[in-house]
Amino acid sequence: MRHIGPALLTVLLAAGSAHAIDHDNIDAGRPLLFEDAISIAYRERAFEIGAALGFPKQRPVGLGLSAEYLYGFARNSHFSIDFDPSIGGRAGTGDTRADAGDVGVGLFRSLNRETLGTPAIAVRADVSLPTGRGSRGPQVRLRGILSRTVRQYSRLHLNADANIKFRPESGERAVQPSLVLGLTRPLGYPTRFDRTGLAEIAVRSGEKNGSGAVVSAGIGLRQQVTVRAVFDVGIQSDIGALGAKTDRTSLRFVTGYSTQF
Amino acid sequence: MKRTFFAPLVAAGALLAVTAAQGSADAPAPVLPPLPQNLPGWIKNKDVNHLFYQRGRYNFAVYSVKPLAYDLNAVAVGHAMAYEDMVTGKAGRLEGETYRKIDRVLKNPPRLMPAEASLSPTFGRRFGVLEQVFDWTHTLHAQTVDVLASDNLTDAQKDAEIERLYQNYRTTVPYAVTSLPMNMGYLYGQSYSKGFRNNYPKTNGLFWGYHWLQGVMYDALYQRTPEQQRSAYEIIGEQYRKTELYRTNRPFMPMFAEVSPRFAARFPHLANVFDNLHMIHDMVNDILVTPGLTTEQQDAQIERALWLCLEAAHPGEKPGDAREPGGLHDHRFMEGMPGMGLMPGGTKSLMYMTTGGMGWMNMSECHHCSMPLPEGKDSWKASTVTADGWTMRVRCALCARDMSLETKGRAILHLATEDPAKPVIVFSDTEGNLRTDSKNAVFLEAEASHAGCSDWSQAFSNQAAFNAFVAANPEYKRSKPLTFAQWSTREGKKPDTYYRPEGPVENPFASEANQKQGAGKEAAKP
Repeated sequence: MRHIGPALLTVLLAAGSAHAIDHDNIDAGRPLLFEDAISIAYRERAFEIGAALGFPKQRPVGLGLSAEYLYGFARNSHFSIDFDPSIGGRAGTGDTRADAGDVGVGLFRSLNRETLGTPAIAVRADVSLPTGRGSRGPQVRLRGILSRTVRQYSRLHLNADANIKFRPESGERAVQPSLVLGLTRPLGYPTRFDRTGLAEIAVRSGEKNGSGAVVSAGIGLRQQVTVRAVFDVGIQSDIGALGAKTDRTSLRFVTGYSTQF
Repeated sequence: MKRTFFAPLVAAGALLAVTAAQGSADAPAPVLPPLPQNLPGWIKNKDVNHLFYQRGRYNFAVYSVKPLAYDLNAVAVGHAMAYEDMVTGKAGRLEGETYRKIDRVLKNPPRLMPAEASLSPTFGRRFGVLEQVFDWTHTLHAQTVDVLASDNLTDAQKDAEIERLYQNYRTTVPYAVTSLPMNMGYLYGQSYSKGFRNNYPKTNGLFWGYHWLQGVMYDALYQRTPEQQRSAYEIIGEQYRKTELYRTNRPFMPMFAEVSPRFAARFPHLANVFDNLHMIHDMVNDILVTPGLTTEQQDAQIERALWLCLEAAHPGEKPGDAREPGGLHDHRFMEGMPGMGLMPGGTKSLMYMTTGGMGWMNMSECHHCSMPLPEGKDSWKASTVTADGWTMRVRCALCARDMSLETKGRAILHLATEDPAKPVIVFSDTEGNLRTDSKNAVFLEAEASHAGCSDWSQAFSNQAAFNAFVAANPEYKRSKPLTFAQWSTREGKKPDTYYRPEGPVENPFASEANQKQGAGKEAAKP
């Protein structure tokens, strides 16, 4: 389960959804925040693992792990379940103890493929069950996704989220909107065909009432390593704030591995 | 052993004399066939519809024959790059810059299968349903090859799994390609047909080279051990990379049964699916390069071409049916080869083969002695010879051996024995020296009229099988079993039964534009 709140961003517990395991099919959290508007294949099973080192400001380094299982239960739809344990520093809290994290379940639905005139469109909904340390009730994330080809081989991906907390802490926002614009481009054409470069810029509202929005950016790489496995690596950082102060993370290093079976 | 070249059956002069009927950008648009009425809604679907392949421990076993896997990876790139240029206004580059770009990939193939959709995003966005058909049928292609390359399955298990894959293919989606033998003369006789072949001969040659590979690989793998598969592909891969990719003198796409007759005889429905898939490729290519068509006309004609070749367009029809003789619903097949639709310019019994200068051939007869080949459930009893880009079925071990000796280049002989699971595989080098890894094989060769060659010339998997045959056939009691070394140095007489088939015309493709370079010649290689 991914939330765009700073705590989860800090340790980048995002495991993300997947499509067919292919370097050019972009999964949330693998390695950046955004994903494209294509579900995994019907009857496909995928497993993704990841690790992230976060360097929150004025807090110890944090390590986040992630594992996610996905299953294409119907054409153009998949189900996912994920686990996101972490340890060490993370933004938004002074707690550095090990945390099993929340368990997330999600549904992804591709509404249409991209045509010459329309982008690919998908929606997804995730529910985060409060299994983590200090979690206060379920959370829901609703996401709309558009993917559109630009300049022949590059693609733009717009992810718009609403993160809803049903039992927010005092002073915490119940609804946190966020927006991510991602760009992907295959690298190496026309002599190699196994690598995709990624870049993103994102803006999310602060977690606390009255806090401003945080702007982050990232770059990454997805490398096909076997016929059914992709290795990914990325760097992200909060790069600015809009409005009042809010928790920020200076740097995050992310790596992961995705496979299908 | 001295070799003689297989006598060319085509008068080269006739081929050189023909006139090109090249199209041009100024040519008027052809009169287009009307669109079918009441097409199902799914043919215009806007969904992604990615489908996962069937699970099995054989998946990706093609990588046990690495050069084949790599060549197939490059094929995906070649298809996609050409399509992307055709739909982005760059068709004019196909024979130059794009050809060189593709050729570089073919010579340096990717180690992993590229995603075609990523290489041809414009094509995919414009022809999403066509891409779904291609993807799903390519999955069937890939998985059936994986099954054949697997060393985890017996031959019987492979046969069963291939059938299971086919049933999954045709029942999972409504847009499966039909397994009927289609009338190739009709499909390649549309008003827009042949434009790609005539005007983009080098790029078209690559497409047909890919399709040659995607056919020939089946017999190269079928009923072979992993070592035999690798040895076979060493020969076939060289033929593909040096010759077949650069042939520009084919008048028609390579047919599956031409290059993999054993697999086609066992799985005619699959041979037809793959031929029909390749014909869709040809029709799409022709439509996209036909001058004067609007985008809307191209889209509509491609939708029509796709529909013609789908199973859903032929409900209740069966191989052999001829509801419209000569038309779309003519599903007669070449005699002796239910996995091959009727060929353009041919008759039901004869097809014209330009490859290797073969000329008119009868698929139901031995190509060495003209005697009838076993059919139906006995079709496995035929042997085959693969050389110089063609594969021929022959009736006996002697016919296979002598035919290979008459042919230039390396050859693969697949000799049927008493046991369908124990064929004797023989490889010939360029000098005609034969080798086999079937150490226990013995041979009977009591040469007489070829009317009886399937009796007096046989391969046996072992001495006991030979003895059992002789005991049951006392007329051969004086025959001694020949070792492979003894058998391989023999050479029989010219078959007394051989005749050269004569077709309705000397060469049905004589007026075809791309024949101007002459049969048997290749394009200048880049």
